[in-house]
Amino acid sequence: MSIKQSLGYRNLIQEKTRFALSMSGITLAVMLILLLNSLLAGLYEQFGSYLRHTPGSVVVSQAGINNFIGATSTLSSSTVDAISETEGVSSAIPILSQFIILELHDKKQPAYLIGYDPSIGGGPWQLAAGREALTGNEVVFDRTLANRHQIKVNDTFNILGQQFTVVGLSDETASWMTSYVFMPKSTMESLLGLTGDSSFVLVTAKAGVTPQKLIENLNAVFGTQATPEDTVIANDLNLFARFFSAPLQLMVGIAFLIGTLIVGLIIYTATAEHQQEYGVLKAVGTHNALLYKTVAIQSLIVASLGSLAGVALTFGVARLIMSIRPQFLIRIEPTPMVEAMLAGMVMALLGAFFSIRMVTRLAPAEVFRK
Amino acid sequence: MTNFALQVNGITKRYGSGTTEVAAISDISLTVAQGEIVLIMGPSGSGKTTLLLMVGALLKPTEGSIWLDGLDLTSLNERALPDIRLRQLGFIFQDFKLLSALTVLDNVAIVAELAGMTTKAARRKAADLLTELGLGERLTFLPEKLSGGEKQRVAVARALINEPRIILADEPTANLDSKIGLQIMRLLRHIAKEQGRSLIIVSHDQRIKDIADRVLWLEDGRFKDMVTMVTDPVCGMALERDKATSAVWDGQAFYFCSEGCRHEFLDNPARFQTHQDVISSPSAIHQEHSLD
Ligand SMILES: Nc1ncnc2c1ncn2[C@@H]1O[C@H](COP(=O)(O)OP(=O)(O)OP(=O)(O)O)[C@@H](O)[C@H]1O
Ligand SMILES: [Mg+2]
Repeated sequence: MSIKQSLGYRNLIQEKTRFALSMSGITLAVMLILLLNSLLAGLYEQFGSYLRHTPGSVVVSQAGINNFIGATSTLSSSTVDAISETEGVSSAIPILSQFIILELHDKKQPAYLIGYDPSIGGGPWQLAAGREALTGNEVVFDRTLANRHQIKVNDTFNILGQQFTVVGLSDETASWMTSYVFMPKSTMESLLGLTGDSSFVLVTAKAGVTPQKLIENLNAVFGTQATPEDTVIANDLNLFARFFSAPLQLMVGIAFLIGTLIVGLIIYTATAEHQQEYGVLKAVGTHNALLYKTVAIQSLIVASLGSLAGVALTFGVARLIMSIRPQFLIRIEPTPMVEAMLAGMVMALLGAFFSIRMVTRLAPAEVFRK
Repeated sequence: MTNFALQVNGITKRYGSGTTEVAAISDISLTVAQGEIVLIMGPSGSGKTTLLLMVGALLKPTEGSIWLDGLDLTSLNERALPDIRLRQLGFIFQDFKLLSALTVLDNVAIVAELAGMTTKAARRKAADLLTELGLGERLTFLPEKLSGGEKQRVAVARALINEPRIILADEPTANLDSKIGLQIMRLLRHIAKEQGRSLIIVSHDQRIKDIADRVLWLEDGRFKDMVTMVTDPVCGMALERDKATSAVWDGQAFYFCSEGCRHEFLDNPARFQTHQDVISSPSAIHQEHSLD
């Protein structure tokens, strides 16, 4: 590398502390941005987890309902029968779902109760311990939720006034908002005072039947609405994304701003300190373009190293958070990773802006006057 | 014009405008021959730096023209000036102004590189030059590890590396102790004479007068009447030659502040010979002022 090209780098590493500080600024900002986005991605994944893991590609609900989580839908047993008999349906799994507040050791804990018929399906898809709930007042509890409240297999606790025994713990059913608790559908019916009703029916198409055709057929059943599973998940995300996205995006914005300010300030101080030297370079005949590059390169070095460190740190922090708080799923995906690093670069360029302006405005004659 | 390295024709520099207008330099003309060393002295605020900046293509005069190597600097586009400064001019500053992050070698080499040399060639040339200036052992040092005199020698090397026709120095000895300052000036004189580069120095430093071919006194933006100054060999007093009494001894003229000193001298001239201080260069015109 030529001397003039290496000048920025050498100016940068001349002050090790400052270099480290400005890099940490980017590192932390990039980490925060990526972590928040990954938290959101994890949240999205948790929201769709049940529908994605249970059989069926079409969700049938009460007419006018096209959400799953948090939606109230009631289908009578005759409607469920009509759905099962619809042409093109290979299997139809009726389930009950209900948001409830559990009281665990005097702590209130929201959970999403699913009632399913173990002989048909719609229950937990992966067990960490015990067995599936089969009869009576038996439940399968989300493992993470169970761990948080020191609930083990064979423990008993109260749901809506009735005693239940935990017979199994399920995996991949955690969410910091909606951890799942599974019980037999018949038990849930009596618990909620329903007789034979279902909330949703998860429908699988026969081989050779297109989703459109199946939905068309299902919509002919009176009082129902059939929606592709993907659409339902997307609808759920849209509904809840509104709650989480805005504050998370705000925090991302703040992280970006703070990162930019830290780099900007530090590069500015570094440039101000070298102002005389840039002046000398101008006086002896250096063109502005080289000086811009010298300043910008410092910023870019800080940004690249800081961004890489930020991404690496995110993996560490994500692992730490998930081990301490397993209900938070942090899903670091390639696109947000690249976006966070790009954000780091943009921070650096914005941060370099005022420094570059200072260098541009520097009158070389001034170096003769100190 | 070709005999001159530099020709300044009636330049004026006014700062500000309207009622706040100040003429820092008023209608100054000056020619500097190749290899000539010109020292510009004058009280603070007299316009020395302003003049140097204009000659250095760092400031445009309000009026007048500056000819450097057949080019009128004042007629050139702003964008053309950096290259002129890079190739034709060398700058030396009061406080050295080395790049703190670069080694001694790279401080010098970067300027050659800027002028288009490859890094390797620039470093080789810089190393040779620095070695000539006695800094061969210091090439890999950072400036902070150098003494003031060493720093200024690095600055001299930096000013010389592109072989400029003219070297401009503003108070080059102000941050050095007198012995080192004088060493630097002798070095500069040696280079100027040997390599035929012109040297324009702005300074308050009386001792530099000895190395200059010509001393100009600037006051209120104009060169003052140039009076030849001499030193009384008896009492050491500085005198205007035209107002002094004189005596010739051994084919040389001596000047005295009073008849008393003249008589004392004539009683035994040999006693004072070592004290005589008459400027050898015919073009030298000195004027003594009480400074500060
Ligand atoms: N940018 C400027 N704007 C307005 N006035 C200026 C500017 N630069 C210099 N001056 C004025 O021009 C005059 C000459 O200044 P200059 O710096 O050339 O003097 P100098 O002889 O170098 O002084 P010193 O010995 O203190 O360095 C001064 O009166 C100064 O105040
Ligand atoms: Mg000055």
